[in-house]
Formats: sequence, structure tokens, C-alpha cells
Amino acid sequence: MSFFSVSNLSASYGSIPVLHPLSFDLQQGCMMGVLGANGSGKTTLLKSICGILPHKGVCTLEGTVLERLSPKELAARCSYIPQRSGISIDISVLDVVLMGCNPRLKLLERPDHSMKRAAMQALSLTGLSGKEHLNYQHLSEGQKQLCILARTLVSGGQLFLMDEPESALDLHFRFAMLCLLRRQIECQKRAAIVTLHDPSLALNTCHRLLVLSEGQAAAILSPSSDSLETMEHWLSSIYGPVCLRRVRDHKGQTHLVMLKEREEE
Amino acid sequence: MKTNALCAAGTVLVLVFALASLFVGKYPLSLSELLHGNEMQLRVFLTLRVSRTLVGVLGGFALGTAGFVYQTVFGNPLASPDVIGVSSGASAGAAAGILFLSGSSAVTAASFAGALLAVICALALSSLDSSGKNSSIVLAGIAVHALAQTALMGLKLTADPERELASIEYWIMGSLNGISLSSIKGNLLICLLCLAAIFLLHRQILLLSLDEGEARMLGVCVGRLRLFVLLISTLTVSCIVSLSGLISFVGLLAPHGARLLTKDNRCSTMFLGGLIGSILLTGADLFARSAASSELPVSIFTSLLGAPFLIFLIVREGKLR
Repeated sequence: MSFFSVSNLSASYGSIPVLHPLSFDLQQGCMMGVLGANGSGKTTLLKSICGILPHKGVCTLEGTVLERLSPKELAARCSYIPQRSGISIDISVLDVVLMGCNPRLKLLERPDHSMKRAAMQALSLTGLSGKEHLNYQHLSEGQKQLCILARTLVSGGQLFLMDEPESALDLHFRFAMLCLLRRQIECQKRAAIVTLHDPSLALNTCHRLLVLSEGQAAAILSPSSDSLETMEHWLSSIYGPVCLRRVRDHKGQTHLVMLKEREEE
Repeated sequence: MKTNALCAAGTVLVLVFALASLFVGKYPLSLSELLHGNEMQLRVFLTLRVSRTLVGVLGGFALGTAGFVYQTVFGNPLASPDVIGVSSGASAGAAAGILFLSGSSAVTAASFAGALLAVICALALSSLDSSGKNSSIVLAGIAVHALAQTALMGLKLTADPERELASIEYWIMGSLNGISLSSIKGNLLICLLCLAAIFLLHRQILLLSLDEGEARMLGVCVGRLRLFVLLISTLTVSCIVSLSGLISFVGLLAPHGARLLTKDNRCSTMFLGGLIGSILLTGADLFARSAASSELPVSIFTSLLGAPFLIFLIVREGKLR
């Protein structure tokens, strides 16, 4: 039995279908990137799995049907990062991270010392140590995303659902964040579904890639084993003509690079 | 640390104002006479001053705390319990009480029932919208507010202009005058219980300020929790407003004052907001009973004291940046 499986998931806004029935499985320790053009249904897919959007079909995590869980039980298993966090009040960075402990706390309980330690640890992992007492609103957009990532790490869910968690980060942090995420998922036997806009980043950091095209799952790619031609074919279906190359850096590590080819006028 | 110091200073100020409120008024009291058992002094002290001070301190605290909750849950700096129509419901209830019942405690009970009815209507109407957005609660509140205003207008039309209309108008202006100890016990008890619940739920109230989906994925039953939090914070306000009549500006201003001073939304800031509310309301009440030869509406002074205070804080904030 697979760790996480989605079967016949579909969703629509009113009468307009946004996500056509799609199914896939995810193994433990696997990070799956979701690539697709704007409006292809990436966010809808994540929100449907979370149960934030009404949908048809079933999602199963370790044998538990997610649709049957209460918000609290669901939150203890799945952690979700929205494209933009809706924190609008003045609140310290540490308190934001501690919000991630809520699924494990009773209604009136407060976070204890071990949770505070875990929060500080998560902040240092995401490069925000020393900033725990700053006002969240005074952080840059990129630092806000790192802070929300720390909150997700604290929440201890088995499945991470992340909607463009790196959109406001610079090149260094973008790569560092996804590598950190991948390490965490591999070491702690979790799984993640991450929507991404940058195909090169996705090709080099994700174990698998779900290609979404107009609400349909066009293909699931494995960047480490699939041939360049196969991947080129499917990526072209999203981005138009592209060219994939394996390139070595100064340290001898191999990277996949995607170049956009000029289209005929 | 700074917040703790502010809270301590606020508590001291509240105590000073409460002491002043016990002894200042038309009938001057002195501690030595009270201790010697002057009967007239004791009676004024126990039947008038104690209840008035209690309502001033606790009422201000409740308005400030409820304002904090509303502004946080709706993510709107202008939100206050009035958006759910609690004040207009209380006014309509009080007007009905003045017209059809007799006695001040009956009017209090009627206005409390009016406020509660308005809140329950607004929350029930909003729950018809299954998407459960914040905006649907606000819209339902506006509808209930309009209906309550219409009911109030109808009641005013049937009122005798000499006597009843005047007392309806005077009730709406708000005053802590003539509140007797016997009629406030129930209200104060409910108010205290709700306040305790609000402080216990502070962490959840902050979670409600997030977007709905985000809060849900942090394990919050958004719909139910929001209904409960709004219900108890509106209940605290109903308890006070049904005793005092409308009190403007405290619920809006006190939490902003606290936040401008501490720059966060911790539990201590909510407490500080309550203290500022207490100071404002007791201070305003002291002016209301001593500024002129006759008793003045307390709302005049909450606004007169509050508006400059808010402007001072904003100007100070601008200079600090």
C-alpha cells in the first residue's frame, strides 16, 4: 500500500471544472513537484487535498481517508503552506512559528517549553535565528516565507502541501529551502507535494514531477531516471518548445538545465 | 517587560480612578465619616457609588476587550461589537422596556434581551451562508442593525413625547447614573464569566485572524470557534450596554491604544486594552457627574477624552518612525 494516494480527485468552481479526475500515489520520503502553466489547477489540487475546496474523489494517507477527518485530526497529519500567509496582525516571529503546534494542543492549552525549543530549532534551520522576537510584519516577503516554512516544520505533519513556498525567495534561499525540505522529508519519512514555478529548480530538487495541463495530470516524471527526450516532450506541453541538458558544475555535480527555445513568430 | 510595566501602570491608574469614582459626586463622601458609620453616607456609598464604580471599571474593561476581539477576528481596525447590531438591539429593547414595562431593572432586562436577540439573529442569518465568510457575518449584522433601528423608530413614534420619548433618548445617550447594586449582579457575573473565557481563548482568537483555509489547516474549527468567540464577546458587551445605554468610542479606541503602546497582540496587550477601556469609562463618568450641575451623558466624555488620546498616540507613532 502506498503512503499517500489520491484517487479520482476532481474539483470545480461552480459549474466550471478546474481539475479533471486525477489519481497518483506518493511513497514515503518522496517530494513531488507540481508544474503547470498559470491556471492549470496547481493551487486547486492542493486546496482540494486539504479539504479547503469541495471536491470529489478520495485522498488516503497511511490508510486514513483524509475527507473523514476533523480539522484538528487533518492538521495533525497534513501541513499546508498557502501562497501567501494571511497574517495581518502585529505578532512576533516566534509566536507565528508556535501556531504550528496548535494541532497538538488542546483548545485552552498553551505551547510548552519543548515546543518553544522545537520552534527555535526550526527558526535556526530556516536561517531566522536571532529574529524570533521581531515583528512578523517587519520581515521581508522572503523572510516571511521562511518563517511560515519553520511553522510547517514544527507542525510535525506527515504530508506537506506547499503552494509556491519559494516565490519570494532569492536564488540562494530558493535552492537552500528546497534542499532543506528534501532532507527533512527523506530523514523523517514524510512526503510533500510542492507547486513550483521554476522548472529548473523542480527538476533538480524533486524526486518526482506531476505535470498538470488544463486541470489534467499529463504525466508524472522522475527527473533522475527518465530520459531527457521524455521530459522535454512533457515540459514542452506546458511551456512550449524547450531544451533540456545535463550540465556539470565546478564541483562535478550534474544538474538539469531547461532552456526555453524561441517560438516561431 | 515593557508590556508588564504598562499593565502595572494601567492597573494603578484604574485603581486611582475607581477610588475617585467612589468618593466624587453630588453627595460628597469622606472616609472618616464612612468609618464612623454615618448612615446616610454608608447608604449612598453602598447603593449608588459601589455599583456605579463597578460598572465603570468592568464595563470599560469589557468594551475594550470585546473591541480587541472583534478587530482581531475580522481583521478590520474599525470593527466593534456594533457591527453585529448589539447596540441598536439593546436600544430597541430598552425602548420597548420603557414603553411597556415599569422599573429600571425591567428596562435593563428588556435591553439585554434586545441585544441578545440581535446577536443571535445576526449569527444565525450568517450561518445560512455555508461558505461562512467573515463578510457574511458583517452583512447579516448590518441587516439586523437596520431592522433594530426600524423597530426603535416605530417604538419612538408610539411613545408619549413628554415623558417616554425623553427617557428613551436619555437612555440611548448612555449614563452610569442610577444603576443599583441589586440590578447589576446577574449582568456582572455573566460579563466576568465571558471575559474569563475570552482570555482563556486568546491563542485561538489570534488563529482566527488568519485566512480561513490557513486557520483550518492549523487545526482550527473556524466556523464554530468564530461563532462562539463572537457570541461571548458580544454577550459581555450586551451585559454592560443594557445597564448603561450606549457608550461610544471605548470599544474602538481602547484596543488601538493598547496596540500602539505595545506593538503586538499578546494576551497582555488585550488586558491592557481592557485597562485603557476602564480608565476611559471611569474617567468619563467622573466628568459626567461633576462637570455641570446636572448629570451629563457619559458618551460625550468618552469621545472628548478618547479622540485626543488616539490622535496623541498616532502622532507619537509618526515621530518614532
